[in-house]
Amino acid sequence: MTATSAAAAVRPGAARRGTGTVILGSGRLLRLELRHNAMLWLLPVAFALFWYNGYREIMALPPMWNLRAMTLQNRLLLDLVVPVTGAAAWMGSREGRRGLADLVAVTARPRWSRQLATWAATTAWAEIGCLACIAVVYLMTARQASWGGPLWWPAVVSVTGVPMLTAIGFAAGAWFPGRFVTPLVMVVVFFGLAFGTQAASGDHSYWQISPLTAGAVDIGAAPGVATFYPYLPDLSIAQVMFTAGLTVAVLGALGLPAARMRWLAAVIAAAGLAAAGTAVALAGTGRLDPHGMIVIPALHDAASNQPARYTPACSRTPIPVCVHPAYAGVLPAVTAAVAPELTEFAGLPGAPARISQVAPVYRQEPGNAAAVGGGGSSAAAVVLPDQEPGWLGTTVTEFDAQLDQGLGLQLASDVILGGDGQQSGSAPSQAQLAVIAGSVRFPPSVQSRDLAPMYGRLLPQPGSPADRAARRFAALPPAARHAWLAGHLAALRAGRVSLAQLP
Amino acid sequence: MTAVAVRLVRLHAASRRLPAALVLLVACAAGLRGALYGHWDSYGALQLPLIFEAACAAIIAVTAGSPFGDPERATGWRLLYLRLGSAVTLTGLAVAALAAAGTGLPLAGGLPDILRNVAGLTGIGLLCATVLGGPLAWTGPLTYLVAGAYGLYTDWHPPALSTPWLWPARPPHDVGGALCAAVVFAGGLAAFTVRGARASAGG
Repeated sequence: MTATSAAAAVRPGAARRGTGTVILGSGRLLRLELRHNAMLWLLPVAFALFWYNGYREIMALPPMWNLRAMTLQNRLLLDLVVPVTGAAAWMGSREGRRGLADLVAVTARPRWSRQLATWAATTAWAEIGCLACIAVVYLMTARQASWGGPLWWPAVVSVTGVPMLTAIGFAAGAWFPGRFVTPLVMVVVFFGLAFGTQAASGDHSYWQISPLTAGAVDIGAAPGVATFYPYLPDLSIAQVMFTAGLTVAVLGALGLPAARMRWLAAVIAAAGLAAAGTAVALAGTGRLDPHGMIVIPALHDAASNQPARYTPACSRTPIPVCVHPAYAGVLPAVTAAVAPELTEFAGLPGAPARISQVAPVYRQEPGNAAAVGGGGSSAAAVVLPDQEPGWLGTTVTEFDAQLDQGLGLQLASDVILGGDGQQSGSAPSQAQLAVIAGSVRFPPSVQSRDLAPMYGRLLPQPGSPADRAARRFAALPPAARHAWLAGHLAALRAGRVSLAQLP
Repeated sequence: MTAVAVRLVRLHAASRRLPAALVLLVACAAGLRGALYGHWDSYGALQLPLIFEAACAAIIAVTAGSPFGDPERATGWRLLYLRLGSAVTLTGLAVAALAAAGTGLPLAGGLPDILRNVAGLTGIGLLCATVLGGPLAWTGPLTYLVAGAYGLYTDWHPPALSTPWLWPARPPHDVGGALCAAVVFAGGLAAFTVRGARASAGG
């Protein structure tokens, strides 16, 4: 029997043992790499960066799942990019840096296999760090949110972005194992991630593929997005496809120098590139839907267009104000801002029996802008401003000012001018303007330049006799204003009340 | 300067890869120049120079590593001057290259910003070289880059981070930020001059 025939007659049991040995050996190699990995030592840096840059900002947002999950996607990878890419480049350059390339070339395992084990160990530690950050944010939000559940797609995009960072860093380190490569690749990746999002413009931009882009570029994480309608995963799916494709492509390219596996490596790299390219092309077909999210027709599930079901949270005010339960936290601020108006107008003709929050409607504008509209022609259906207290540093005073300029004025004009008066398009009388101005309380932060567009239309000119009458009327308590309106509203609407007759 | 001194400087520069570092500093300046032609939003334009400043500081810090380790420490007092001279020269060249790159283009902060940020970031890098070793000296400046970029971001999205220790987020002529950067640079330079970069097995 020759050696060749003996090898050909290997028994199945021996083959199974051989496979088992390979798996065992790979496991042992991975364990060794996990124990001697730079990423483990850089995890505290990753956590510190995330706490300083991301966590505090996310936790300062109102406790809404959409806001926090989408902001997490926007921040997490950027905070991880330096420690993760740096550790991967450092590990990738290890053999070259220590002059071990020739020494380990004679080991039983091919170079590609050894590199993949090192990359896998680096990625495993980085993923542990990434998942820990996500877990903390989601656990805290679960304890604070008044409605809804975790949005998983933003987290999935971040999780799949980590192997992409490690693959790029590792490959750069392996190909150019010099002392300058690690910092340079980190800077290049940081620049690409941080500034890649700035190149995006409009809803058709290919740059939306950046894993930091959560939702529409022009809108981002806004309270009205993914609240009244489910979160659309279209863009997230394309982003996952892109990051996974790029990871596979880079890892495949690592194997190209291996003579025996060159074809396999080339096929893997080409498949990865094809996936990443397809994802970029898909992102370019996106369009902004009326609910503030990006729809990609090829990936879109029409079932996602159904509105979310919820039971509104209502206030116990003379005119109940009902909001989406996710906004329950701001309901006290809403009712406090318009409390005098609710008391004054309750039960009067033209006043709504109930004020209900409705979904905002988003529309893509030319260039890099989006318009937010929605709501009805009366105060019965209202769109709350996106600038909630806590959102990007918005204060309660600023929120109150927006509500008074929107809801407060709408309520007053509904009652004072009436539906017919608004439709007829006739200019309101000075007495009507005085009563409207005397009924709505603007916070001191609202300046005359904010109100200027409404002078003559809903508010009297400053310093005019109507303005002085408005100040007189505003000095009355809400109950007294209500009593006067109950007796004089019909005459006021008909234009039969002069400024001198106002209390 | 004697021929021996020139040869000593040349050998020291070669052992620290200073020629490669100079090429990379020029490449960073060229990168900044190219990036300044792009259209960036407000805080993007502010963050842009910081990225290239941090890259320059990381390059300078990485050159601190010695390939000879402990034996070199026994060569005498002139090593201190070589360390000091190489660090100061590279920092000065980095500032000059970045400032030249911004000439005629809207470079946020201008020369005072570049001077403060490059000096401070280099100080962090030299401190890291002293503690962690030359090959790992990049960790400090690049970690600080992320924090600094976030500080600039908060200028648009309050509450703004106002500590002078996060000097990239302060206005270019802010005295507190400049003092903090100067203190860190002086500290890093002194530590590196006296102790040199930590000898690292991973080098």
